[in-house]
Amino acid sequence: RLLRGGTLQERAGSDLFCLCLLEKPPLVISSAPVLRGCHLAIPSHRTAVQAWVESLRHYDDRHVGLADLHPDVFAVMPRVDILHTVAVWQRNYKRISYAKVKTRAEVRGGGKKPWAQKGSGRARHGSIRSPLWRGGGIIHGPRGPTSYYYMLPMKVRVLGLKVALTAKLMQDNLHVVDGLDMPTFDPQYLADLAQYRRWGQSVLIVDVNKMPENITKAAASLKTITLVPALGLNVYSLLKYETLVLTLDTLAFLEEKLLWHDSRYTALYPFHLPYSDFP
Amino acid sequence: MAAASRGGGGGPKALELLRALPRVSLVNLRPNPGAKKSERRRGRGRHGGKKSGRGHKGQRQRGNRPRLGFEGGQTPFYLIIPKYGYNEGHSHRRQYHPLSLQKLQYLIDLGRVDPTQPIDLTQLTNARGVTIQPLKRDYGVQLVEKGADNFSAKVNIEVQMASELAIAAIEKNGGVITTGFYDPRSLEILCKPIPFFLRGQPIPKRMLPPEDLVRYYTDAKNRGYLANPSNIPEARLELAKKYGYVLPDISKDELFQMLSTRKDPRQIFFGLAPGWVVNMSEKKILKPTDERLLRYYSS
Repeated sequence: RLLRGGTLQERAGSDLFCLCLLEKPPLVISSAPVLRGCHLAIPSHRTAVQAWVESLRHYDDRHVGLADLHPDVFAVMPRVDILHTVAVWQRNYKRISYAKVKTRAEVRGGGKKPWAQKGSGRARHGSIRSPLWRGGGIIHGPRGPTSYYYMLPMKVRVLGLKVALTAKLMQDNLHVVDGLDMPTFDPQYLADLAQYRRWGQSVLIVDVNKMPENITKAAASLKTITLVPALGLNVYSLLKYETLVLTLDTLAFLEEKLLWHDSRYTALYPFHLPYSDFP
Repeated sequence: MAAASRGGGGGPKALELLRALPRVSLVNLRPNPGAKKSERRRGRGRHGGKKSGRGHKGQRQRGNRPRLGFEGGQTPFYLIIPKYGYNEGHSHRRQYHPLSLQKLQYLIDLGRVDPTQPIDLTQLTNARGVTIQPLKRDYGVQLVEKGADNFSAKVNIEVQMASELAIAAIEKNGGVITTGFYDPRSLEILCKPIPFFLRGQPIPKRMLPPEDLVRYYTDAKNRGYLANPSNIPEARLELAKKYGYVLPDISKDELFQMLSTRKDPRQIFFGLAPGWVVNMSEKKILKPTDERLLRYYSS
């Protein structure tokens, strides 16, 4: 009955049961806990928020250590309207609508007056392609490729990322992992792990460094679990996926990049050109 | 949602509230109430419709009103008032961005400008104290008196124009002020040095001021950079007598070396001469060796 049919829980339970029989039960608290402090200075009136550091090496490795997260990135004011603004921007700024219709000047034909102004008894007309006619031109229709490009200020987009990360942390959807090392490349292992730890229907795993082979192979065949490099993190993806899994290196990277904008000068010239006073 | 409620007292309470609310996802997003007001479109119902804001009959509704400014035949206002060149040649007039002593003191106090180095337009721009737009006919910065009472910084500052009281305020604190002219190309290079270095062009020589400014910059009273250096101590004494303060002796100062650094009239940057090419990527400076170039750049 468990080979086909049966509920998902029952099937997953059976696999884990098999795993349980094969391996030793893990230590709940390891002997050398991974403690990650915040590398950047925290303002004196605020304290760091904390998250458990987990591991992917075993299906139940949930308390490998504790990580301090910077409050100005992971505990900002939950501005849901900014999330809306940024998500709408992400959807629309790439949009080019290719719809175009012909006006009465562009529709083929219609240069000649169809019948004389007076005498025929019919309504007066000047062209067979006027908008009143069937097959005539369209007034005020979509004209040519239209671009919906606009840019939100840099700091709004940065704040959007911070609010999204805060929302994920506060709603218990953020998990910190010490690394993406997996014991096997079996996609089922990853799926079972996510289900056992109640991560949610979809998981977004983010890493700064090159990801190990096992996890890339495992996630390649899974639809609900996605790997993303840290540079590809965006508000839309954060809201689309239910759970976010970050590595410790990604935490440091994100904190550094997002906090820099709080205390920088305005740009004199584009940021990709070198500056001497700040990176 | 959480952001819209005014009952919570700041961040921590809002975050606690967020924990109890459903998961924030793409389906829950909405803008703050009142943020998006839909525009009134004409011809679409009760308040945009019926006459669609055109009024009742006549030229107004039929779109046949005369041109803007027409007064029914009476000579209109825009013709009856005689022309006068208030704005004539406005785009050829030199503009100097004001920098108050109060702002300068503020920048020094916050550590954005270093008073132990000579203060230049580059330093002021890097500190984001002033924003100069050479393309909008800005010719530099002028020092303005506001905050002269509380100014207490000893600086070696170079501006483009300065009023008498501003000069007095700087010198009273033992500082040195010079006024120098920058033509628009040099000004652009001075304000944004890095984009210029990345172009790979040699540093040009600073042009001399136009005729109407020569008198200003050759006058020791304005501390002009073209004035005779021997006239400047006299002018300092005179100003001290006029405003009634004791002129401090800067030659006995420990920072005398720094305070007495002045730029050559043809020099744009301290430490870099015209004709040199700065290579940012390899961190090298290339100097010309050809005789004709050397003669040109040192003239």
